[in-house]
Amino acid sequence: MIEPVHPAFIFIIGVLLLPLLKIKRLKQIYLLLLPLLALIDLYSMPYGTYWTYQLMDYTLTLGRVDSLSMVFGYVFVIIAFCAMLYALHVKENGQHLSAYLYVGSALGVVFAGDLITLYIFWEIMAVASAVIIFYQRTDKAIGAGMRYILVHATGGILLLGGIIMYMNATGSYVFDHLDYGVPGTLLILLGFIINAAVPPLHAWLPDAYPEATITGAVFLTAFTTKSAVYVLIRGFSGLEILMWLGAIMAVYGVIYAFLENDIRRVLAYCIVSQVGYMVAGVGIGTDLAINGTAAHAFCHILYKALLFMGAGAVIYTTGKKNLTELGGLYKTMPLTLILFMFGVFSVSGFPLFNGFVSKSIIITAAGGMHNSIVYAMLIGAGVGTFLYVGLRLPYFMFFGKDAGLKAKEPPLNMLMGMGLVAFLCLLIGVYPQILYNILPHSPVDYVPYTASHVIEEMQLLLLAAFAFFMFLAHVKKAETITLDTDWFYRKGGRAFMWFITNPLAKGSEMALAPFLSMKDFLIWFSKNPKRAFFLGLDLLEYNLLGKIHGLPPEESLELLNREKSTYPGKPVHRDPVGDAVIVSLIFLFIYTIYYLL
Amino acid sequence: MKISFDDPGFIKKLKYLLYISIVIFILMGFFVDFHPHFGWEEVPAFFAIYGFLICVLIIFGAKAIGRLIQRREDYYD
Repeated sequence: MIEPVHPAFIFIIGVLLLPLLKIKRLKQIYLLLLPLLALIDLYSMPYGTYWTYQLMDYTLTLGRVDSLSMVFGYVFVIIAFCAMLYALHVKENGQHLSAYLYVGSALGVVFAGDLITLYIFWEIMAVASAVIIFYQRTDKAIGAGMRYILVHATGGILLLGGIIMYMNATGSYVFDHLDYGVPGTLLILLGFIINAAVPPLHAWLPDAYPEATITGAVFLTAFTTKSAVYVLIRGFSGLEILMWLGAIMAVYGVIYAFLENDIRRVLAYCIVSQVGYMVAGVGIGTDLAINGTAAHAFCHILYKALLFMGAGAVIYTTGKKNLTELGGLYKTMPLTLILFMFGVFSVSGFPLFNGFVSKSIIITAAGGMHNSIVYAMLIGAGVGTFLYVGLRLPYFMFFGKDAGLKAKEPPLNMLMGMGLVAFLCLLIGVYPQILYNILPHSPVDYVPYTASHVIEEMQLLLLAAFAFFMFLAHVKKAETITLDTDWFYRKGGRAFMWFITNPLAKGSEMALAPFLSMKDFLIWFSKNPKRAFFLGLDLLEYNLLGKIHGLPPEESLELLNREKSTYPGKPVHRDPVGDAVIVSLIFLFIYTIYYLL
Repeated sequence: MKISFDDPGFIKKLKYLLYISIVIFILMGFFVDFHPHFGWEEVPAFFAIYGFLICVLIIFGAKAIGRLIQRREDYYD
């Protein structure tokens, strides 16, 4: 039995060796091998706490393995494999490096047993994901990446502040359930919430994810938000406000997704909406709800990656990313369409696909709380999800008015990546026990395939389809963007910069001007002090008497101007000794005066 | 059966399929007992009606909100 290694290091250290391999095939095999190794590693990890290290005064626990962390561990590694298969054609080493660094640090977060380890891996994740965004290299990507870094750096600082306060208050830095009232927990919660993309702190997600590379975006969807869900489950389960935030989030994402034009931005808002379900599940806090949250996180990673892969494939082959520019692709990209529809059915919660067996757990748990508002909101958001991802998106992408685009199916590795994920979505949908067996609170007290559940779901979905086609004229696409909460810091940031470069700069210039002019004068004076002195005298005489002695006024003016313009004239013969004598005489003179006074 | 979405005959067949499945599922709702969490769930066709209403709400609500917050694509540039 080999001693297990922390899976994060398989990715992080493994990918650092990538540049050593030069042959393309070898690189590709190696990149696919790493997640497989990690999977085997995960299997061999028994539950418990290990990999503890001493860092100065603190004991870092890198490994806390239980059913909750294993669920996330498994899905992270599985999706890493699929996303890498999809990204196999990318030649740039750096992109693979940042992707696996990202995966590795996410695994580090999931298995962290204490707050310090959590923080370290959290920040590595933020940096690695920002780099993934920058790799797209467009102006928009760089701008979005910068905003992403700012938001996540702020989140990181909040998290760190919270951790420090918490450690001060309680003396412990073990990462388990954090009681909300303890000082510092609010900041920690805020740090988690930023990564989970809870409105109003969510705008970074729809801002940045659509601008990343096609393959990078697939990685991005899986890790930041889901590791945030994990830490929320671990630290704040049962916190009631999360239930409300989650329900609002689910609806918020739906509304925005419906208005967007860029296909990946629609999907990004879909992420916000689905994570809302998970946050609500954390808030509900019952065993069933936590099971549902973990299950939904697992399924969501799979189908959201599939949706981004499909959208990415369309962008890759057509070069277009807006709904207003797409249409009629079902003839040229049928395979992509079918695989995309697997993702569509999954996210909508169609029976036989994985969404049906996971999302409904959370909804049932909400029902169990006897809180009809949250229940209604979550169901409504589910209908809305089907409306925009299941109907509007594929309709305008693949059907609708034919845009006459020349397209073909994407490369084989992308299709294979999509196919693998689609297969898993179907598999879990048809045999939910595979997933249910690894959930934190086994055995799961929920049977998805009851007549009532299936009928309820089908009624919702079919009627939504009916409504969509009835009002087709009203759901048209438009070339607009929608303003979101990032308006505040984007416009605010501009206003701030304007303030600095205009009023503030002018003000500081004004304050400085007298000193500068004084300096200029001294330099001018020193060029030829004798003439400058006499020039000054003439100037004085002219101003006081109206003329210079011996000359009428106009000629005086001429003389004055001539003197000014011919200054400094012949440079004074430098006589260092003489200069020194004069300077010391002046000094003695001043001193004598002072002494006499 | 020709699968071409441009063909109106095919579209018609799809629509009939949709209508029939809606009716089937609503009817099935009468024969199955739900375990309702809330009072209003007991109406058998509840979920169908709710689904439809929510859609209408979302479609038109989103349009209304969109009028407020939508801008040209180069708004931020």
